[in-house]
Amino acid sequence: MELNKLLNIVNIILDKKNKPVLNEINIKMDLRNDIGFDSLDLAELTVRIENEFGVDVFEDGIVSTIGEIIEKIKQNG
Amino acid sequence: MDEKKIFLVDRDKEFLYVELFQYLNKINCLPRYIYSKDINTIFYNIVGSLIYDIPIVLLDSDFSHNEIQNLGISLTKIDENIELKNKILVNYENFLSLLQNTKEWNITLFTSGTTGLPKKVSHSFETLTRMVKINISTKDNIWGFAYNPSHIAGLQVFFQAILNLNTIVNLFEQSRSHIFDMIEKYSVTNISATPTFFRLLLPSKKHFNSVVKITSGGEKFDTTLINHLRTTFPQAKLLNVYASTEAGTIFGSKNDVFEIREDIKDKVKIINNELLIHKELLGHSDSLKVVDGWYFTGDIVEVISNNPLKFKFVSRKNEMINVGGYKVNPIEIEELLNKHPNIVMSRVYSKKNSVLGNILLADIQRVNDITEKDIQMYLRKYLQEFKIPRIINFVEKIELTRTGKIKRA
Repeated sequence: MELNKLLNIVNIILDKKNKPVLNEINIKMDLRNDIGFDSLDLAELTVRIENEFGVDVFEDGIVSTIGEIIEKIKQNG
Repeated sequence: MDEKKIFLVDRDKEFLYVELFQYLNKINCLPRYIYSKDINTIFYNIVGSLIYDIPIVLLDSDFSHNEIQNLGISLTKIDENIELKNKILVNYENFLSLLQNTKEWNITLFTSGTTGLPKKVSHSFETLTRMVKINISTKDNIWGFAYNPSHIAGLQVFFQAILNLNTIVNLFEQSRSHIFDMIEKYSVTNISATPTFFRLLLPSKKHFNSVVKITSGGEKFDTTLINHLRTTFPQAKLLNVYASTEAGTIFGSKNDVFEIREDIKDKVKIINNELLIHKELLGHSDSLKVVDGWYFTGDIVEVISNNPLKFKFVSRKNEMINVGGYKVNPIEIEELLNKHPNIVMSRVYSKKNSVLGNILLADIQRVNDITEKDIQMYLRKYLQEFKIPRIINFVEKIELTRTGKIKRA
């Protein structure tokens, strides 16, 4: 459920930069190394996640993987 | 001097000081404009321009051709070279005195202006190196270089390092794991970076005892970040600095209260809570508004004490938005948006963000069907990436104030 919504958000950001969208994501994926996000993308990601889930996932510092985001969402949800 | 002393590390490449000298002894021309992504090219050319005492212009490597033309620079000129007539032989003995013996040299940078047009600022060797410390405790520093090399903060770190013949380790726009590897491998002692750089790096379970000083500025430092820094760099002293493209670094502080040093106390004053800096402390620019010798910074401060003068920064008077340490003028972006045939009016503004300090958003009133992606692709043709609003909301109407200005509050 969260994973699907997250996939949508990730793909919105990728598509706007004309990068190929992903068919699936998994909890092991690294936002920078595997998905290729830079700091501006990560900032956008926080806003879109906050709009969707009401959680600022980067509030206590950087998170690196999809799994860590899911964890933050569950902790605060 | 150690023949193996490293000047610069960039990814897996090491450049020795002797190699820098060999380059300087080999060249017979220098570029008029530095427009490169390559930190080694940028630094080599700056050093070359200093040795040969030739003024130089530094352009951001991600400036679009459009942005360059808007600076008043013809695209045919950016590849121009200046021939060097009298060769100068550089070695360890004369290197530092050659660097410091400039007469004509200055370096021109561009910063987002308040009117929508970028502002041009030229710095002499003196204004850039005013804060440089050279003594027994700085001679073995190893610098983690985390700023854009074509911006003033980067230049100041560069001068602090090179005038001490220190090693510079490039950490700018590198991955987290690479940054940690480099700090460890080269036993980095000093890091100067924006709060955003550290926010993207921390928290981490690692500890680096080699780092003894961390300097940051340009945005507010929050307590979460300070705690993360203390954990990862337990031996480091933290220093907060106030710097601007117009003036370079002027003062530092251990927390958020800035105290003005005795030697520059006559060159700083506060009127109506706005910080004023005397022109003697500034670089040269025709677009700076200087009144009776004083520059109005637009920074609003809260005075803590008058003698000595101590204050805290509260806010900005103008509309400039700080995105991860880069200043953005929303008016510049609105002007561009409003030129688009499918856009009636736009409002560009910021929202607090845990990654970048602030993130750019835009409200747009459109006439025809146009998507968020279309708008961003359009802006990308003209602007550097950090100036592009990341979230675009389509609205029925943009609210105006009574004087016809866009409501910003």
